[in-house]
Amino acid sequence: MSFDAFAKRAIDTAAVRGARYTDIRYENSRSERIEVRNGAVATLSDATSHGYGIRALVDGAWGFSASSDFSGSGIDRTAGRAVEIAAAGAAIARQRFGDPPHQAHVDRFVTQTELDPFSIPLGERVNLLLQAEKLLHVDPRISVGRAWIDLWHVEKTFYSSTGSRIEQSIVQSGSGMEAIAVANGEMQSRSFPGDIGLYKSGGWEIVQEARLQENAVRIAEEAVQLLDATQCPSGSRDVILGGSQMSLQIHESCGHPAELDRVMGWEANFSGTSFLEIAQLGRLRYGSELVNIIIDNTLPGGLATVGYDDEGTRSIVSDIIRNGILVGYESSNDTARAIGAQSTACVRAQSWEFVPMIRMCNLNLLPGETPFERLFDDVKDGLYMESNRSWSIDDHRLNFQFGCQIGWEIKNGKRGRMFKNPTYGGVTPVFWGSCDAVADENSWNAWGTPHCGKGEPMQVGRTAQCAAPARFRAVQVGVGYGG
Amino acid sequence: MDKSAREHLAQHVLAMCDCDAAEALVLHDNSALTRFTHNAIHQNVAYADTTVSIRAVCDSRTGVARTNALDDGSLRAAARRAIELAKLAPKSDVETALPEKAPYATVHDAYISATAQATAHRRAHMVSDVFEMAYASELWCAGFLTNSAQGVTVANSTGVLASFDTSDAGLNVKMNAADSTGYAEAFDHDIDQVDASAAAKVAASKATHSKAPEPVKPGLWTVILEPPAFGELFSYLIDHFSAQAYDEGSSFLCDGIDRRYMSENVNIWDDFSHPLAPRMPFDFEGAPTQRLALIENGIGRTVVTDSHWAAKLQRPNTGHALPAPNAAGPMPRSTVVLPGSKSRQELISETQRGLLVSRFWYIRPVDQRRTIVTGMTRDGTFLIEDGKIAGGVRNMRFNQSILEAMRSCELSNELRRTGSYFYSTVVPAVKIDRFCFSSVTDF
Repeated sequence: MSFDAFAKRAIDTAAVRGARYTDIRYENSRSERIEVRNGAVATLSDATSHGYGIRALVDGAWGFSASSDFSGSGIDRTAGRAVEIAAAGAAIARQRFGDPPHQAHVDRFVTQTELDPFSIPLGERVNLLLQAEKLLHVDPRISVGRAWIDLWHVEKTFYSSTGSRIEQSIVQSGSGMEAIAVANGEMQSRSFPGDIGLYKSGGWEIVQEARLQENAVRIAEEAVQLLDATQCPSGSRDVILGGSQMSLQIHESCGHPAELDRVMGWEANFSGTSFLEIAQLGRLRYGSELVNIIIDNTLPGGLATVGYDDEGTRSIVSDIIRNGILVGYESSNDTARAIGAQSTACVRAQSWEFVPMIRMCNLNLLPGETPFERLFDDVKDGLYMESNRSWSIDDHRLNFQFGCQIGWEIKNGKRGRMFKNPTYGGVTPVFWGSCDAVADENSWNAWGTPHCGKGEPMQVGRTAQCAAPARFRAVQVGVGYGG
Repeated sequence: MDKSAREHLAQHVLAMCDCDAAEALVLHDNSALTRFTHNAIHQNVAYADTTVSIRAVCDSRTGVARTNALDDGSLRAAARRAIELAKLAPKSDVETALPEKAPYATVHDAYISATAQATAHRRAHMVSDVFEMAYASELWCAGFLTNSAQGVTVANSTGVLASFDTSDAGLNVKMNAADSTGYAEAFDHDIDQVDASAAAKVAASKATHSKAPEPVKPGLWTVILEPPAFGELFSYLIDHFSAQAYDEGSSFLCDGIDRRYMSENVNIWDDFSHPLAPRMPFDFEGAPTQRLALIENGIGRTVVTDSHWAAKLQRPNTGHALPAPNAAGPMPRSTVVLPGSKSRQELISETQRGLLVSRFWYIRPVDQRRTIVTGMTRDGTFLIEDGKIAGGVRNMRFNQSILEAMRSCELSNELRRTGSYFYSTVVPAVKIDRFCFSSVTDF
């Protein structure tokens, strides 16, 4: 049944109650997770959820109310509550944050998939994981083997009092595996692909692309080898980061600080603020000339690829860092207007229950020109690190410390012995300023991050930071084992 | 949705399940949150929803389906799907039965109707007190005020029927000056106990007194962690008390139960009946939750279980299941670090040179088994000299084993409830010797 009549009723009700602008987002979602753990199916779940969220603007203040009550009175009550909440804020406001969006679109967007993931027989999906997980048990010291698949399908329709009606059908898929080795009080883990798996917009082809079975034995053997590997040394070294770790590096040290709500103090009490201040736009040297980071929410396969954001703004491509200089932000209508710019369509809500807010979407480091293998050539004394294990950054997004699952020594351009517990740290613009090579497009991948937390109430977002491996000079390594 | 409606719904769903055993978990949530920055409300939200989660058991195999569509057709479809998933799952190597009906404790006054029903106007009125404090102090504030009501009902085909209603409220406020910030919080299941003005005053004082922060050298410091800081640090120990972590080798307790891990003055309980944080007296399988000493006089005493891990490890079921499906294992839900004998002020007065930390940020494990974590200070870090607060210092990064920290610590005599989205716990302030800071920031 179409939600159109309900949406009209909600918008009319909100207008009568005093809203200057209203939008309503209906969502019907299905999510499936399968997790195999040590030979048993630890999770086999199928969840459906439907509901709607109404956003009302009263005298420059926003109110948001969400419900799964689809009765006429339920719609009226929810619309009325959104207006009441907005009015409560407006009554004590000394400044106004909100203004009605002006654009209106009537459109439909559908994620391109090669194979509907929900059409694959469930037994086949489970069996793929059982076989991959079984391969992880290469040694009695493998304490835990895990393999998982996540599938999401969201049907949503956005309506606004300015005339938008935008239907979207979004399919996202992902899978991964992990081996944990334990012996003599030591615990080491390896996961694949990357540290959380491979997550993209698309269907079953994404799960196939992860190639779990082909890589299971290798990563399990690495987990066991790490138990007896040499501790990562401390000091200043040249560092090459693998693609998935670069994705994490972008996510934490560029993606979050470039969120304009954070820059403007809207996240100050929780996620913090940002060193990418508005006065620095167009001037701040964020990184070396090789560092080019863009928003691309149109990218096929990007986990955050959609046609429109949850304010009804069409997805675009725009620059954040151009040749190392800060030139843009991830923004919404309200925040963009405050700096005299246009929204970059980065507004998302986790689901119908949640208010739309600025979220990192597809934020991509453009590939360089150096083949991955050639990154090592010019390194006399360095480290190559892969797959994140630990991540922490201050509430201005400057001082960071990250750890990886595995590292290798680099001596005179050659990869050597394995290091366990590799960590590195630095200050964001100094670190990115030391980037002197980014690998080419052959090793560039759309690494998705399916569980990014932000906001209050906390929302989980699905983002992507597409990246290739890159090289950094004179980085402090071995910083995590001082206490 | 009230208790009787949830119980009726749960039993109605169970009747739809044609399988060996079944469980229905009904969760109702009605929450609102007012968020502010720059002394004005910028996000103001509310939502209500009821979900039904059905766990079907067929020949020791389980499947779970969840829906928030409560019409009979949708519920029957979810029941069929749970059974279909169960029949496709491989047979478990552990024979796990759903819990039998058993009496559980009564927790009084966990639901306060005034909290559950607080309106957007009441929240606006309370946060306006925070705004006034900010204006009066020439600061700007950011934070939230939330109120909510949750109802849980678990029913299963072996006769379990357990329900619990709770309310909650919380205030979080950060005051901001040109080069300093200050933080305070208040959480209570009764919104009348949340004193917005008092919290705003504390946060403003911290921001004002930490102006012009000076850098100090990283290294080993004596620290006094206020409850929000200690609570966040301590939260990274909680999963070590899971039977799953214990069995799989990621818990520090793998070195042995009944072994000393912390100083003798440390006692940690899992206590659903604590008056500062009254919680559900049964778990998400409907098994009665036990009050447990996890650490007694510094000695590791036990891990928590659910029906699966109790059967697998041949231990009693302590009633700490999370909602199915749950690959993370059982977990303590109501941790309390018991208080010591000295006041917070005495801990400060007895410190020759040290740091007072109001709050931590972005703590993450560096080495899970060794309990080494890293994180940052934020929102009010002070130098203590000769037993007095000497001024603000710039924020620092630490790398520290939590166990090492708790081998040499003193606890204050006043407990506070603290929490975030990943934990809620009751802790005192703590004084720790030789806390390891590894770097300093520019702010």
